[in-house]
Amino acid sequence: MSESLESGAPSFLDQFPAEAKLVRATLWSSFTALILGGLFGIIQTLHRTDILRVMDSSYYYTVLTAHGVLMVVSFTIFFLVGVFTWGVVRSLDRPLVDMRYSWTWYGLMVLGTLMAVVAVLGGFVDTTEMSADVLFTFYAPLQAHPLFYGGLAIFLIGSWLAGADWFRAWYAWKREHPDERIPLQTFMALTTMLMWYIASIGITIAVVVFLLPWSLGLFDEVNALLTRTLFWFWGHPVVYFWLMPAYMLWYTVLPKLAGGRLFSDPLARVVFVLFLLLSTPVGIHHQYVDPGIAEGFKFIAMTNTMFLLLPSLLTAFTVVASMEYGARRRGGTGLFGWLRALPWARPAFTGMALAGLMFAAGGFSGMINAGMNINYLVHNTLWVPGHFHLTVGTAVGLTFMAATYWLWPQLTNKPLFSRPIGLLQVVMWFVGMALMSNAMHVSGLFGVPRRTAEPQYEGFDFTPAFGTMNEFDMQIAVGGTLLFLSLGLFIGNVVLTSLGSKQSGLGDSLPPALSGPSDSPVVLDNLKLWLGIALVLVVLAYSLPLVSIISRGGLFGPGVGTYPVIIDTFSAVVESVATTGIIETLAQFEVGVIVQ
Amino acid sequence: MSTETPKREIDHEEFDPKGTLALILIYFVILSILWVFMYFIEFLGNDLTVIG
Repeated sequence: MSESLESGAPSFLDQFPAEAKLVRATLWSSFTALILGGLFGIIQTLHRTDILRVMDSSYYYTVLTAHGVLMVVSFTIFFLVGVFTWGVVRSLDRPLVDMRYSWTWYGLMVLGTLMAVVAVLGGFVDTTEMSADVLFTFYAPLQAHPLFYGGLAIFLIGSWLAGADWFRAWYAWKREHPDERIPLQTFMALTTMLMWYIASIGITIAVVVFLLPWSLGLFDEVNALLTRTLFWFWGHPVVYFWLMPAYMLWYTVLPKLAGGRLFSDPLARVVFVLFLLLSTPVGIHHQYVDPGIAEGFKFIAMTNTMFLLLPSLLTAFTVVASMEYGARRRGGTGLFGWLRALPWARPAFTGMALAGLMFAAGGFSGMINAGMNINYLVHNTLWVPGHFHLTVGTAVGLTFMAATYWLWPQLTNKPLFSRPIGLLQVVMWFVGMALMSNAMHVSGLFGVPRRTAEPQYEGFDFTPAFGTMNEFDMQIAVGGTLLFLSLGLFIGNVVLTSLGSKQSGLGDSLPPALSGPSDSPVVLDNLKLWLGIALVLVVLAYSLPLVSIISRGGLFGPGVGTYPVIIDTFSAVVESVATTGIIETLAQFEVGVIVQ
Repeated sequence: MSTETPKREIDHEEFDPKGTLALILIYFVILSILWVFMYFIEFLGNDLTVIG
């Protein structure tokens, strides 16, 4: 049974074959990262829950880094450049300016990914010194091989050039259409890229000025707090970088799948402008427990973060209203009865709708993370991975997979191999994530740490207020297994679709919004204005904290050396009799404090 | 993709997203309940997390 029935309309591949080839290449890169990332995900899930340990725990951080980097850098951003290329070309209805240039940025992104991944996988090979067990949050004092930082830098440059490609296409279009509003999908891609350029300032300085020369041995020390702050300068807006392509799909594709059209084009533009303004000056909310940053700066970051809820709540309204419009056109009635009229049998719709539902739950746990006082309760616990598996792991990941069921036939002229398997896949992801993420949140509340290979301790038991630790571990393991199986079904469906035979007329158009761009103020399209305000907000939020950090610790740090994780040295220390005695005493003391 | 024929046409003025409003109100009620729940976990379930 095919998801895509012939509509008679030409597909994206028919209209823009060269661009469709590029988008397919970016999506294949994305899916390759997804498979590998998923494999490392299931290994660590079964390892930390002590269900199945196929490796020594000393490799745990290699697995964790590979899972994090492949999933949240490679899978998400390769998909982003693909879907933005599709959206820009489709909405401008014109090809990219120069395909050689476009393939160049794609090539740079692939090269950068390969370099970083080789450095990370080097951690498995005992005969090489190369490793990058620095986790996705790759700030000092953990140090990676220079290949890792070099790869990241090249990947970033590739993503910047991709953004420039879409700006070039827009400029070319503007010359032909001087008085027209920016088409919505292009507007979304351009505002997102402006946010990305601002966010990149932090990570570029961190990698190029400090981390890369430090790992090359050009200097011995860096200011760890400075590199952390520069990382989070980028590290929070990057979550919106993952999210914005999902938002683009929710705003422009989901209403169509629901049988309707976008409720309001102006609201969509406001939301993307708000993300451009507010995504960056909030990064310090990841550093609530960092000593060395004054509480006042953290309070400002918290206030900015709470403002950031506004565009997400606006999105909840606009997207759900668009779905309701579609449902009522399909004959739905009643206050809640219209929900039954939605096309739940279509995996592309169901996957995106379930992803949106998970995002609502992630919104709550995000508010907890963002509150300064309550953050202390969950900081560095398993709650935090529970949160971001709802947001990036489902709101983004499941939306991307579901959208693929709609987009892939138009990029290949091949109908989807199996719609029932697609439906099973998205529901399985939802159920798996509900189990895993719920147990992670609850475990975190009872103090179970994140980033720990063996969170089972001798002489100390976590004491949950309800349930048992075994139940939570089983939920995590069963949920993770369902996610892995779901991922396999997704990849299988895409591969079998690609092996199928071509058909004509698989194109599907996107209807204009109910309230169109003419209803929105022209100032919303003034990208220079919003870029200027966004930069001012960043300067206001970051200049004083950065000056304070540098004036106290210096640019190159108050005596912080490197900390590659060296298990042998640690083991040798632990094995020495005298030290063991001290550690035991300390451990008993600590357990005593925790129990009290 | 098949182009579906709508069972009824609704224009912009006619469409009143009451169902959306109802769902969002339910979400806010859930958020409020969870916030109250967090109060019990943070302040009544444990000693203070940050001391000194």
